[in-house]
Amino acid sequence: MNWLPRNITFRSFRSRLIVFLLALLIPVLGGIFYYVNQNNTDYTEETINTYLGLGADVFDYTRQQQAMTLKAITNSLTWDFGFRTAYAANDPATLFDAALNVLDRSQDIVDMLMIVDMDNEVVIDTETQGFEVLDNAWLHLVEEANESEEGQSDMIMIINGLPFQVIALPLYLPRQVAWIIGGFALDEEFVNQVKETTVSDVSIVKIEGNEVEVIVSTLPEHQQELLSSQANFGEAGASSLQRMNYDDGDYTTLLRSLYGESGDALQVFAVFQRSYDENIENVVQFRGLLIRFYLLVLIVSLLTVLLLARSITNPLSRLVDVVKKIEEGDYGRSVTVSSKDEIGELADSVNSMAKGLAEKEKVRDLLGKVVSHQIAEQLLNNPVELGGEERTATILFSDIRGFTSYCENLPPKQVLEALNSVLTTISDIVEKHQGVVDKYNGDAVMALFGVPIKGDNDASNAMAAALDIVNALEKADSELSACVGINTGLMVAGNLGSSNRMNYSVIGDTVNLAARLEGLTRFYEVSNIVGEMSKDAAPEYIYRELDEVCVAGKTLSVRIYELIGKKSTVSVEKKADIEQFENALQLYRSKNWDKAETLFTQLQIKCDNAHLCQIFIDRIARYKKIPPAEDWQGVFVFDAK
Amino acid sequence: MKLLTHIFASARKNTLLITALTLMSCTSVAMAQSVQVRLIDANGEPIKDAVIELFSEDNAEVVSVKYHEAKIDQIDKEFVPGVTIIVAGGSVSFPNGDDILHHVYSFSTAKTFDTPLYGRDDNNQYRETFDKPGVVEIGCNIHDWMLAYIYVGESDKMAISNAQGIAAIAELPAGEYRLKIWHARLSDSEGYVQTITVGENSLTELTVELQLARDRRIRRAPSSNRRRYR
Repeated sequence: MNWLPRNITFRSFRSRLIVFLLALLIPVLGGIFYYVNQNNTDYTEETINTYLGLGADVFDYTRQQQAMTLKAITNSLTWDFGFRTAYAANDPATLFDAALNVLDRSQDIVDMLMIVDMDNEVVIDTETQGFEVLDNAWLHLVEEANESEEGQSDMIMIINGLPFQVIALPLYLPRQVAWIIGGFALDEEFVNQVKETTVSDVSIVKIEGNEVEVIVSTLPEHQQELLSSQANFGEAGASSLQRMNYDDGDYTTLLRSLYGESGDALQVFAVFQRSYDENIENVVQFRGLLIRFYLLVLIVSLLTVLLLARSITNPLSRLVDVVKKIEEGDYGRSVTVSSKDEIGELADSVNSMAKGLAEKEKVRDLLGKVVSHQIAEQLLNNPVELGGEERTATILFSDIRGFTSYCENLPPKQVLEALNSVLTTISDIVEKHQGVVDKYNGDAVMALFGVPIKGDNDASNAMAAALDIVNALEKADSELSACVGINTGLMVAGNLGSSNRMNYSVIGDTVNLAARLEGLTRFYEVSNIVGEMSKDAAPEYIYRELDEVCVAGKTLSVRIYELIGKKSTVSVEKKADIEQFENALQLYRSKNWDKAETLFTQLQIKCDNAHLCQIFIDRIARYKKIPPAEDWQGVFVFDAK
Repeated sequence: MKLLTHIFASARKNTLLITALTLMSCTSVAMAQSVQVRLIDANGEPIKDAVIELFSEDNAEVVSVKYHEAKIDQIDKEFVPGVTIIVAGGSVSFPNGDDILHHVYSFSTAKTFDTPLYGRDDNNQYRETFDKPGVVEIGCNIHDWMLAYIYVGESDKMAISNAQGIAAIAELPAGEYRLKIWHARLSDSEGYVQTITVGENSLTELTVELQLARDRRIRRAPSSNRRRYR
């Protein structure tokens, strides 16, 4: 979701789905809503406008119909012989009565009658407007009639403040002798009649100068005032639809000019109005319906999404739990997902993965038991192939002295138990000091320090392990003691064996020598022997130089040492003894037999290893009889292994 | 010998162009003088049914020998003829030639009268006498379009223009005359008046252009030709 702002992150799949749904649904629903609403509103407005136009047309039609009736009545009047006789009698009073009679008989079609002679002089006027000669609009009416083919004309006129639809007709006697002007008022009754047909409010408004006056209207009185204050009777306003705000809502308004033109002193307009709100009611209702429907759609969609999300996240979170357990090493769990979709596949995969991991762990565990943990790791993490590399490391050989006799009277099972117990102790100590048990051979243990993983103090670790092993066995059983050989140097580390079966191990002179040194402990009756390189590599320990030997099969001699302990733990007396022993050894090497013998003899009494001193005393006695070669430098050669 | 005189005069309102052409023939026969007026409208078209009348200034005593009686027929819901001249004191009969009833009325100041409804041969003896000079407009209250004019002259020195627009009065004594022209559509309600001199043994010829008002007549009812009424 790259289009989302960067700072939005989803904590759950569900919220992501919901946001996605809303982002998708709301614009679509909004778009539809906008389109439908707009269309409806437009349609309604159009309908209102059409109705208003129709209202205006009905107004005109009604006016024309009434005008036709008016014409018919007035026309009939002009042919009435009695009326003709009355006109010929030249008696206005009689004519006036006759005219009033016509008004009465016309059933409210004719509201006024006026007779004007050919010199435009008013003979009678039922509205008694007071003028004697026609002028202005009246003159215009008559002139228009005179110029027309039919000799007729009609117009809207304002008579005594009321708009009248008037017509002018000639009075023939049998030649034209006068104009008869008949009219009906566009009054309350008229507008009500139009309203009944058009269901639009109709008003007739007079504008005299700046004064706007509602003459008749179907509107309530207070709205008439609003109409006169709000309507725009300007040039543009007269031809366009206007929206007006009354106390009970908006009204759409259509103006139609009845009399006068823009700029004239007197103008009369017919005003048609429809309540916008009443007409929009359906739209509002539909809009409400649409909104409720949308809410329903949204709710249903949300519920569906939640269910969908649940159907995905529930198995997913179960899977997450199981995967977390697997991460912690618990492979025993499995997850059940009934669906056959990707999630079901994933669950199956996780299950088989857990199974696989469990098997692998079992192998690893077994491997860790068969070989050392570190070697197992080395084997698991690297391609297992034959071959090795040259490394400098420290090798520790340990053996249990007295174990054979210890076992003599025990049943084999007990022997095994005892051996396992001892070997476990030794293994633990080795591992504690970052060593690696390479192999067991009977009661013997071969341990590596520095391979396969190089440490910082491999030799020191080996020394500490050696001291611990010796101590541990002393504590464990008085009949048993450990003897340890330690040597440091180059060796080849790697997988040895056949391509099908191999061991991780080390080989080389250094390794062999370490084994020899372990063997020499019996000869010197010491608990351990350390090679010179090991001693140099762990200088924080106190050593006693034992001898310089040339082991069987080797030409080069090596100095061998006995590891005494940490510098801080070794007593001053012991240090003095060690120094004295080294002095004696020095004298021995310089063939100063007597002095050396004296020193060894002295040491033999007080020192902890009388046997060691005895070895040298015996050698000195031998060399005294058979002196060594001239170039002898104190090296003792072991012939046999 | 012919003498041509062109008279140009401007009448009231300067709307009339008068061309008077006097043609005088040299004859010694008394009462051989006559006046012939040619009437044309603004387009030069002849004007039919106009009435000319001559008034003698010096001969107050006029003995009328013609136009004492006239007949206005009612044929196919029309007055025939449309213009009738009679001398004051003369009478007019109104026989009904149609199969339906007719009515004759007048509200004119010269003579106001009206007859009851009458049918064919019903009113043959009826005559209306017109004592007062002037124009009497007669109509029928049943058929509004029916309209006829009776020109009541002061003497018999009058004539109606024919289809060529020519009205002629013969056997006139020579002298000065007031020529009056009347036509139903003449804009000037007073009529046209001009003084002319009629020479001995001469034919005085005049061409007068008249300004006529538009002809607005009541149309015949379209249904008036129907025979069946039930």
